[in-house]
Amino acid sequence: MSEKFELADFVSGYVAEAEDLLVLASKSLLALEASLRKGEPNPRAARDAFRALHTIKGLSAMVALEPIVSIAHRMETSLREADQGGGRLALPDLDVLLEAVSAIEQRVRAVGQGKPPAEPPPALLESLDAIKLAPSTTPAATTPAASLSFDLEPALLARLSPGDRALLHQGLAAGKRAVQADFIPSGARAKIGITITQVREKLGRLAEIVKVVPVVLPQSGAGFARDGRTPEAGASNGGAGFARDGRTPEAGASNGEERPAGLSFTLLLLTSASLQELEKVAEESGSKLRQFAAPLAPREASPPGDDPALFDERADPEAEIGASGSLRTGLVRVEISRLDDALERLSCLIVSRFRLARAVADLGATGVDVRNLTRILLENARQVRDLRAAVLHVRMVPMADVLERVPLLVRGLRSNTGKLVNLMMDSGKVEVDKAVAERLFPAIVHLVRNAVDHAFEPPAERGALGKPEEGVLSIVCVQRSNDRLELSVADDGRGVDREQVARRAGRAVPRDDAGLLDLLCLRGLSTREKATTTSGRGMGMDIVKKTALDLGGELLFRTEPGKGSTFVLRVPLTITIVDTFSFDCGGERFVVPVSMVEEIVEVDPAQIVNGPSSTSTSHENAPEPAKPKRARTGMIRRRGRALPLLSLSEVLGLPSREKATKALVVRRGGEAMGFAVHRLLGQQEVVVRPLKDALVDVVGVSGATDLGDGKPTLVLDLVALGNALLDQHPPERGAAA
Amino acid sequence: MAELLIVDDSKIMRDMIVACLRPDPSLSFSHASSGLEAIEQLSLRGFDLIVLDLNMPDIGGIEVVEFIRSQDRLRQLPIIIVTTRGDEASRAQSLRAGASRFMTKPFQPQEILREVRALLGEGIAASP
Repeated sequence: MSEKFELADFVSGYVAEAEDLLVLASKSLLALEASLRKGEPNPRAARDAFRALHTIKGLSAMVALEPIVSIAHRMETSLREADQGGGRLALPDLDVLLEAVSAIEQRVRAVGQGKPPAEPPPALLESLDAIKLAPSTTPAATTPAASLSFDLEPALLARLSPGDRALLHQGLAAGKRAVQADFIPSGARAKIGITITQVREKLGRLAEIVKVVPVVLPQSGAGFARDGRTPEAGASNGGAGFARDGRTPEAGASNGEERPAGLSFTLLLLTSASLQELEKVAEESGSKLRQFAAPLAPREASPPGDDPALFDERADPEAEIGASGSLRTGLVRVEISRLDDALERLSCLIVSRFRLARAVADLGATGVDVRNLTRILLENARQVRDLRAAVLHVRMVPMADVLERVPLLVRGLRSNTGKLVNLMMDSGKVEVDKAVAERLFPAIVHLVRNAVDHAFEPPAERGALGKPEEGVLSIVCVQRSNDRLELSVADDGRGVDREQVARRAGRAVPRDDAGLLDLLCLRGLSTREKATTTSGRGMGMDIVKKTALDLGGELLFRTEPGKGSTFVLRVPLTITIVDTFSFDCGGERFVVPVSMVEEIVEVDPAQIVNGPSSTSTSHENAPEPAKPKRARTGMIRRRGRALPLLSLSEVLGLPSREKATKALVVRRGGEAMGFAVHRLLGQQEVVVRPLKDALVDVVGVSGATDLGDGKPTLVLDLVALGNALLDQHPPERGAAA
Repeated sequence: MAELLIVDDSKIMRDMIVACLRPDPSLSFSHASSGLEAIEQLSLRGFDLIVLDLNMPDIGGIEVVEFIRSQDRLRQLPIIIVTTRGDEASRAQSLRAGASRFMTKPFQPQEILREVRALLGEGIAASP
C-alpha cells in the first residue's frame, strides 16, 4: 500500500496518445469536410472524430488538464449530435472544429514540454458553443438503402442500424461487394496470436469493416477453456440481445483439440479486393467467407477522389479512417527517453569495445599470442554491430508519420491566402531516426509555408499565365544510398527572381542557383515587403539551412522563373551513432562520417598542381580564433576532371610533417573537393557527442568521440569546412558550425 | 487472487487504472483494447471482475455489458463502467443493461480501489 498514484508518471504516455488521437481527429474532420463538399454524409468520419475527442477529454480529465477538457468537451458535444442525433455539420463548423484541434494540439505540446496548458481562448469556446446543427438531410441516402436486400441471417439483419445500411449502400453503389466473414475464437488460436483483434486488423487492410457482431453459438458444450468458476458451463444461455446462429457452422462439430469458445464473430465487410485475396487472409485465421450482396454498379475506373489537396490518391480516406481503430494494435508504445537510454548504454558498450581492442593490440605488441582473442573480438564486433542496427531500427519512424500533419497545415494556409494548392506527398517506406524527424519537421513546415505564401501565384494570375489555377506542391522522400534521406519540396509557382533577391540583399546578382540559395539563407532576408500572416516572419531560410547542416546534411535548390522551385534537404537517416573513417593527419587522429565521403582517392604528391591563388594567409590577428585557416588550393585530376585539393593539416593549422597519401572527396552542393590526409586508419562506428563548449565551436567540427583511448577524437564535418573555405562570402559562424 | 479484465481502447487509460489498483497485491490484471477483444477473452477464460470503458470502436461498453448478462455463466460477473463527464446519460442505460457500478473520470485512485474491493467482497459473500 506504499505506492502513491502519481499522475505525473503518465504525462509522457498521455502526450503520445493525445497526439495520435489528434491526428485521427483532424484526419476524420478533413474526410468529413471532403464528404460535405460533395454533399454526401459521412457518419463514420463523424463518429471517429467524436471518439477521438471523447478519449482525449477523458484522458485529459484524468491528468487534470482542465483547459483541454473544456475545448474537447465542446467539440465532442457537437460531434455527438452529428453522429447520433442525425444532425448535420456545415462547412464553416468544420473550420471551427479544426481550429479547436490545433488549439488542443498546442496545449498538448505545452504539456509535453512541462508547461501548464494555456486557458482556451473565449472566442474559440463561443464559436464551438455556437455550432448549431442543421437537421439531417439524409432521406435520399436512407431510402434506397432501406430497400436493399441482404442475404443475411434475420438476427444479423435486425442488428443493422440505418447508418450501417447507408454505409453498405454507399459502398455497393461504388462498386464494392459486401462480404460476411465468420471467425470463431478459441484458446488454441489465441495461443498462436489469432484473435479477433488480429483478424479484424488483417481483414481491415483489404476491406472496410462495416460492423462486427458477436454471435453466441447454439452449442456451448464444454466449450470454455479453463474456467473453474462455471460449473454450469454446459447450459445454453439466454442471449436476449444477441444474434443466435441458426446455420450451425463448423464450430458445431467440436472436435477435441479445437475447443470452440461457444462464440463466433461475424464481420460485415465492404471490399473491392477479390474474393481470393480475402480468402487467403481468412484461411490463415480459419475464418469463413461469403458474399451477402453484390455491387450495385460496375466498378468505376477510378472514383473522382476526395479533395485531392487533402489526401493523395494512396487510399480512400474513409477506408483509411475506418482502419484507424486498429492502427495501434500490434504496436508497443515506448517513451523516447527509454530509447535514448538504450542508445546511451549501447554507446558505452561501443566505447568499451574500442578499449578492449586497444588492450588486445597492446598485448599483441608485447609478443603474446592474441590470435584467439582477436577472433573473439571480431565476433564481438559483429554482434555489437548487429545490436546497434537493432537499437537504431527501433528508433526509426516512418517519414509518412512525420508528414501526417502537413495536409492540415496546407489546408490552413489555403484558407488564409486564398490560393489553390494540390498537395502530393510520397514518402514510400522511408524511415528516419526519431531525433532526425523531430528536427526536420520545423524545416518542412517552413518550406511548405514559403511555397504557399510566396511561390504560388493567386488563382487568377495563374489563369492569366496559362497555368492551371491550382498549384501543385509535392513533397517526396527518397532514401539514397549511404543512409541519406533526400526530402524535396517542389512547387510549380513563380520561381525565385535572382535580381530581385540580390537587390534586396544588397549583393551582386548570383551566377547560379547555389549562389542564389546562399543569398536566400542570409539571416533576416525576406523577399516580401512586409510580413504576411502566414510567413515572412518566424523561422527564415537560414534556419532551414542550419537544420540541414546541423544534421550533417545539406540544402540544395533549383529554380526556374515562371516554372517553380525545388528545395532538397539531404540529411543522414540517423545521427548519434555513425559509421566513420578514421585517419591520421598532422600527427592527430580524426574521424569523418562515411556518409559524408563520396570517394577516397590515392594522392601522388607529384601530381598535385598548385593553383595560382595560394592564399596561405598566416594566423596573425585572426579575428576569430576558431576560424579555419586558408590553405593552398591544389588540383588533382580525377577521371579526367580537375578536383580542388586542400591539405587538411594546413587547414587545421597542424604541422604537416608527413606527405599526404590519400584524399577524402566530399561534395558541397554540386562540386566535389578533396581533403588530403596522411594516412587512412580504418572504418568504425563511433558515438558522436556534440561539442557544447562555446570555446571549441569550430567550423567543420561536428562533435567528439572516444575511440577507446579515453582521449576525445574530433569528428570532422568536411562539407562545412569546405563551405567555410571556398565560399565567396564566408558564412556566419552560426550558420555553418 | 482475483483476476480483473481492464477494457479500454486507450492504453494509457488502462495503465492508469492498473496503477490505481496495483496497491492491492491480491489483484492481477489482463487487458483488452476493444469490446470485441473483451468478449473474446471472456469467452475463453474466467475473470472475477471487469472494468469497462463505454466509448470504444465496433462494440461499445453497453453492448459488452448486454453480452455478458446474456451469458448464464457470466451473469454474476461484477462490471465497473468507467466513463467521461458528459456521459452521465449512459449511466442509466448501462445500469439497466446490468453494470454493477458507474464511475466518471476523473476519479481518485482510492475510489476505484474501494469499488473493486467492495464488489469482490460481495461476490465472495454471495458465492456458496
